[in-house]
Amino acid sequence: MAIRVLDYSGLKCPYPILKLSAQYPQFKEGEIIDIIGDCPTFEKDIKAWCNKLGKTILNIEKQGNKIKVTIRI
Amino acid sequence: MMEQYPCPYRKLLNCSISDCKYENELIEILNKCIEVLNKIAEGDTSQVIDIKTQKACLQSLIDTINKARNEIEEFINLNHELAIGICEHFDVLRRLQAGDFSAKASEDSSLEIVKMLGQLINRQKNRFVDYINKIKEQHEEMVKLYEQERVILSSIGVSILISEEDMTVEFVNEEFERLTGYTKTEVEGKMKWTEFIPEDILPMMVEFHKLRRISPSLAPSQYEFKFKDKNGNIRDALLTVAMIPYTKKSIASIIDITERKKIQEQRIHSQKMESLGMLSGRVAHEFNNILSGILGFATLLNSKIEDSILKNLIQKIIEAGERARDLAKNLLVFSRKEELGEIQKISLNEYLIKFSEFIKPIIGRDIELKLKLPENEIFYRINPAHLEVILMNLVTNARDAMPEGGELAIGLKEISLDLEYHYTHPLIKPGRYILLCITDTGIGMDEQTKQRIFEPFFTTKPKDKGTGLGLSTVFGLIKKYNGHIHVYSELGKGTTFKIYLPQEEKKSSASINKETLKGHETLLIVDDDAQTRQYLSAFLKDYGYEVYEAQDGKKAVEIFEKNKDKIALCLIDLVMPGISGIEVMRQIKNINARAKTIIMSGHPIEFKNIISIEKSISADEILLKIRNMLDQKE
Repeated sequence: MAIRVLDYSGLKCPYPILKLSAQYPQFKEGEIIDIIGDCPTFEKDIKAWCNKLGKTILNIEKQGNKIKVTIRI
Repeated sequence: MMEQYPCPYRKLLNCSISDCKYENELIEILNKCIEVLNKIAEGDTSQVIDIKTQKACLQSLIDTINKARNEIEEFINLNHELAIGICEHFDVLRRLQAGDFSAKASEDSSLEIVKMLGQLINRQKNRFVDYINKIKEQHEEMVKLYEQERVILSSIGVSILISEEDMTVEFVNEEFERLTGYTKTEVEGKMKWTEFIPEDILPMMVEFHKLRRISPSLAPSQYEFKFKDKNGNIRDALLTVAMIPYTKKSIASIIDITERKKIQEQRIHSQKMESLGMLSGRVAHEFNNILSGILGFATLLNSKIEDSILKNLIQKIIEAGERARDLAKNLLVFSRKEELGEIQKISLNEYLIKFSEFIKPIIGRDIELKLKLPENEIFYRINPAHLEVILMNLVTNARDAMPEGGELAIGLKEISLDLEYHYTHPLIKPGRYILLCITDTGIGMDEQTKQRIFEPFFTTKPKDKGTGLGLSTVFGLIKKYNGHIHVYSELGKGTTFKIYLPQEEKKSSASINKETLKGHETLLIVDDDAQTRQYLSAFLKDYGYEVYEAQDGKKAVEIFEKNKDKIALCLIDLVMPGISGIEVMRQIKNINARAKTIIMSGHPIEFKNIISIEKSISADEILLKIRNMLDQKE
């Protein structure tokens, strides 16, 4: 199954996690998602979100000035 | 231009020093300030300008940028905490909405509004969970009540039927199955109650059904009706109907009153006989007085007249008067006003031996008389004249029923009737009785005749042969001794009269130990009469036997074929529609030559090589017979 990719590039924090929360109900339990962002606090926000909602961060990858965080719902 | 302004900031700062020694420092600080400000503009507040300079103006710039960075960082952090709090509470609400009541909002945010929102969500959740738990408890309680009601409805000893608005049967209980012969699976959701109702009363009951749904008070809630069971038998029943609240369904309880009605009819009949007896007694008494005058004066006139023609006419008057006097005498005996002797203790054995000698010339040579007396002598306190009237009437009737000869049997025995017998014959109280049986192999009677034979002046004999008072006199005399008379008759087969005379209570010396009557074997009861079959089945089950029931010979043979290794003994009714009891026995013996069978009959019968019993013998005697057969004592 293709991994769902959420590209929040250009969005300033904390908009990415607000958008992620709004989209979250459509995800399936156990689904793996790539979230891409370029805000300096993007990584920190995603980590805090995962921590609060009990989700697992699988990988963090820097891609130029962007960051891709892979999480399991 | 570069030559004119070697320092890139000289023009910016309007500096006139051409060889400024702080030129490099200035450049470095300004570059750092631009870099940090760019980062802040992107939202990155991680960097701080940690340069110290003597230039007050530059230091002030650095401090202002650092202060602005701190303010912005604090604002960003606040913003993030607010966002993460919203995300978390949003997720908790989402989980609650999906039914996950383990979700709990955190209450540890440093932002008061987020913290309070978390508390509010948790409180709401707890209230909601409490509410759901209460609903669950109520639901469980309702389920229990529903189950209890179903068990009560199922096991109650009254037939219950729940009907939908379109008359489809939604529910019936076990008693309904027993009463009608239909099973729940055959009826529920598949049949309409109208299918159980005879056509003549159906329109009325359908009308009630409709009216009840308009308003319950428009239709009677209780009335007598008739229903058809699975075999097509019509039965009398008492119906009580009520609407189930908040539905268009109705619940009906049905009590089978067929037997009750029969008993009522018997009682009414019995009372009618009593009143007729009293009335006829009074009439006969007055009539007798008048006849005494007529006969007296006619006799006097006869002695005074010499003319033979007139004498002959008076003689005719006297003869007619004497016949009338005999009739009046019979009426008085019937009404028990005429006493013909005294009550005394007599040996019934001895009496019957003498009586049988006395009646031989009366019954003629074509009729074989059989006397069946017990070995022990039975004494009874009775007026011998009454006994003679009873027996003579029954014997002459038996004789008249056998114009071409036959067999007349007079039997005597002591019996004990228990509660079980009382249930099926409610007019007879349990206790010890003397049973007198008068059986003929004559023409028998149809049901209509049987119903009326004890009525005064009812007769099937030619006009000059019977008064119609014989059996009503017998009935009256037996009543005098608190006894009962039963008639069992089949057209073309014969008639048996059974007279039960109550004995004074005495302890039975030959009482049977109930434990020895018990058994665990499987028995097959074959009888077309549902009441007898069910009665036998019920008490045999009480004594530990397993019982199969068959209502006719065909079904009996089918059941035996399927269970030939299991069925230890078959009890078969002699007279049944379709295959007769003897034929059923023969077919069963064909399946298993060693099969044990007992033939049951309303008549006292004897067959060669066939073991038989009378249906009216006591439960203990039937059980003993069965036990003896199973234990190969017979």
